[in-house]
Amino acid sequence: MKTRWEYVLLPSFLIVGLLIVASQYVFLKGSFFKDLGLGRISDTATMVNYLRFFTDSFYLNTLWITVKTSGLAALFTLTLGFPVAYLIARMRSQWSMILLAGIVVATFVTIVIKVFGLIIIFSADGLFNQALMGLGIVDTPYTIIGNQTGVVVGLMHFTLGFGVLLLYSVIQTIPRSLEDAAQIHGASRWRMHLRVLFPLSLPGVTVGVLMIFNMCMGAFTSAALLGGGRVFTLPVLIQRTVMMEIKYSMAGTLAAVLLVTVLLINLLSIYLIRRLRSARLVIA
Amino acid sequence: MSSNAQFSEAANTGSLARIAQKRRKGPPPKRGYPWGKLGHYIYCALSYIFLLSPMIVVIGASFHGGEYYTAIKFPPDDPSLQWYTKIPTTQFKALALSFGLASLAALGACIIGIPAALGIVRGKLPGRSVISSVFRAPLQIPAIVTGIAFLQLYYLFGDATGLYFQGTFIGLYIGHLFVATPYVVGTVTAILQRFDVRLEEAAFSLGATRWRTFRRVTLPVIMPGVYAGALYSFMVSFADVPISIFLTAPGFVTYPVELFYGMENDFDPSILASSSLVIFFCLLVLLGMQKLVGLDNLLRSGSR
Amino acid sequence: MKLTRTGLILKSAALSVGILTASSGFAGQFDGVTLRVATWGGSWKENMVQAIVPKFEALGGKIEFVTGSPQANLAKLIAARGKAPFDVMETLDAQEKEFFETNELIQKIDLSQLTNKEYLDDWQYNEWRVASWSTQEVICYNREKFAELGLPAPTTYKDLANEKLAGRVVIPDITSGGGFANFGAIAYAAGGNEQNVGPGLEVIKSLNSLKFWSRGGEVVTQFESGDVYAAVVHAGWCLRARKAGSPVDTVQPVITGTSHVGVGKYGWLVIPKHSKVPEAASWFINEYQEPEFQMLYAVKSGVVPTNRKSISQLASDPIFAEMLELDPAKIGNQLKINYQKADTSDWIDQWNRSVSQ
Repeated sequence: MKTRWEYVLLPSFLIVGLLIVASQYVFLKGSFFKDLGLGRISDTATMVNYLRFFTDSFYLNTLWITVKTSGLAALFTLTLGFPVAYLIARMRSQWSMILLAGIVVATFVTIVIKVFGLIIIFSADGLFNQALMGLGIVDTPYTIIGNQTGVVVGLMHFTLGFGVLLLYSVIQTIPRSLEDAAQIHGASRWRMHLRVLFPLSLPGVTVGVLMIFNMCMGAFTSAALLGGGRVFTLPVLIQRTVMMEIKYSMAGTLAAVLLVTVLLINLLSIYLIRRLRSARLVIA
Repeated sequence: MSSNAQFSEAANTGSLARIAQKRRKGPPPKRGYPWGKLGHYIYCALSYIFLLSPMIVVIGASFHGGEYYTAIKFPPDDPSLQWYTKIPTTQFKALALSFGLASLAALGACIIGIPAALGIVRGKLPGRSVISSVFRAPLQIPAIVTGIAFLQLYYLFGDATGLYFQGTFIGLYIGHLFVATPYVVGTVTAILQRFDVRLEEAAFSLGATRWRTFRRVTLPVIMPGVYAGALYSFMVSFADVPISIFLTAPGFVTYPVELFYGMENDFDPSILASSSLVIFFCLLVLLGMQKLVGLDNLLRSGSR
Repeated sequence: MKLTRTGLILKSAALSVGILTASSGFAGQFDGVTLRVATWGGSWKENMVQAIVPKFEALGGKIEFVTGSPQANLAKLIAARGKAPFDVMETLDAQEKEFFETNELIQKIDLSQLTNKEYLDDWQYNEWRVASWSTQEVICYNREKFAELGLPAPTTYKDLANEKLAGRVVIPDITSGGGFANFGAIAYAAGGNEQNVGPGLEVIKSLNSLKFWSRGGEVVTQFESGDVYAAVVHAGWCLRARKAGSPVDTVQPVITGTSHVGVGKYGWLVIPKHSKVPEAASWFINEYQEPEFQMLYAVKSGVVPTNRKSISQLASDPIFAEMLELDPAKIGNQLKINYQKADTSDWIDQWNRSVSQ
């Protein structure tokens, strides 16, 4: 007998779909109207907000900065996180749990606190600069606050914990025996990775990386605290527009653009990965 | 792919040794660490240092011995436990709220997310990627937009029906549930894609009902994905700032919001102390889970 | 007389205990009333919990807090439309236009409850709002570092554009509490005014590789770590930096081109229009003016009280007298931005464009 999985899906889909539609409707609807200041919105529908966005280099630059910092953060998180996830997944000793616990605990710490820790580390007389200057690499202190590097670092801290856990759960679904078999068969370690591990983990890793990317695109707290008020990503700008300028319409426009961009990038990535994928699912 | 088939055959028929003898070049293969075990360990150590250093600094700085106004330094100038005694009760209340909220959010996310993942992976629906995008959509909406959108939605809903959700626990919960669900959907989807349907078919053919099969065969196998998703949901909900800012109300302030606004006006070192307590508590819980259930049983996918 | 925080806490505790024991047993004026107060979190709120909450509870009521910056709370108020998310709210002078242009958002205060009005100046209260505190926006600088660099003490904002100070100066981000006031002041000092902030932006650009602070605590830390040699902050943060050990002094900036010296930023208390407990809110507003409470926040945060008695009490402490301007005549001469003339949303827009990297 065949289970009609579609029906199983339905209630969840309705709940989530309804919440998305309802909440966004109220907010985004406003984007098609003009702000009258003080949170009031005019009655006539107009595209003037969108026009303003796409003709203003400031807004377009903001979009670019958002995509750039999120992409870089996702890439670096993957680079740092994949080997760690692999290590924990393949480790046989009890230490793996301790390492995992370390990751989980790090993710519990609110980003606000982590940023404060980062500020202390990167301050002029903090550990990082002490080391740097002690080694003679630079003679004036280097700071990460107020530039895009800081934002990327903040985003990485925000997502690295999640990233490792996601990648870990993906890697340990790939049986170790496949790797062993490949190596016994004569493959060098790199070759084993390239031809066995990476292709098989690709679907899971894609989902993971996209999740990390999306988190970064929507991240407000890290970008706001480390951007130092100079780096404007769309979430930061949206928050300013809502809280400081109380222009709900323009904020809705910004949010709409952000949303559409993220969706497009997600769909594009999935499409590209499908095309590149050559490994098929095989369970021994 | 023929090489895969060959590997499977080798693994299954036990002719590994013969093949190994024929094909092996050079010394026996080490575990799959491309740069060698030591290189890999060093790389991972650096990653860990990157991740953990702010936390360590925070814990260290919480032993701040100075007066209320002095700046926070690491390593602390003259260590003392004073700030641990000065944590205001409001922070504890906020911690309790965040904890309870996050647990319930994780639970709700599983209830909604598991059927969703099943439907996406197994259902023969056209436009599957669109549907899966819908479930991932809450992740793509900036949290702050979600916060204010829900607030406005609640007011609209309240005006229309007389049922007001803003400023209530349920209102806050729905907001958190909204952003937590995608994680469960994502992890369970990933694990389902590797699931061998033949296991279920075997159970059917032996006479199990659909529900029984689900409970006794499917669920245990996807459990790692479920636990992982629940864990992420918990963490996301616990750490959330932008949504909670708008949906909290008198008596319901979550811990991160309490911190965020506490730092805005005045810097109170007791924040560092309470964060350190959170870290210690988390370690304890994980330790407890390890002793009771064994974390490996929770997070590993059984015998492979 | 040296004012100590512990001394004040003991006094308020004693007072609260006294009130509680004295009034226990009879039906309070505010039986069963819950008053929701929108204010900053952290120790600012703790001051109220210490000094005001026990008194209200003695009258049978309960106080709950909605924490957030005034901007965040304003956003909640506006989103609420026909309902009041809280009953009394702390606002900033920069939000004047939102509140007082239309009076759509607030209701009248019962001034008969304002028994402390004898200690306030006329301009500090009317039936729509009552002053809560003021801050003095100053230039805070590390005198030792300045001496090392051979620089004289700064007198106005332009002095901070010296290349020896590159990367060592912070000014408030426009979204921070002190953002609008200081931005407006810098604009004035550069020859502009509320409607022409361009000159101010030029000066800000000239303070090269400038950092912006959004949390006062950051500034104190940065003085301590040597990251920062000079900051535009309110005097309270400079005071805290001094107490933390940094050798800092305050300078009331000269607003060149005007007769003003120093910049004042004011907070106000208002009652949202749809609040159902305006009497309790009015009671709260009066309690806010009580010297006990005012001294609590003044000593902790270096914020200037509204109550005349408290100001003179503060002036008797040498550090406060030195770092804050407590002479009423000079306070009157400080620049106060007229937000009725300012389009702050346009300010933010121009700011964003000018500073983005």
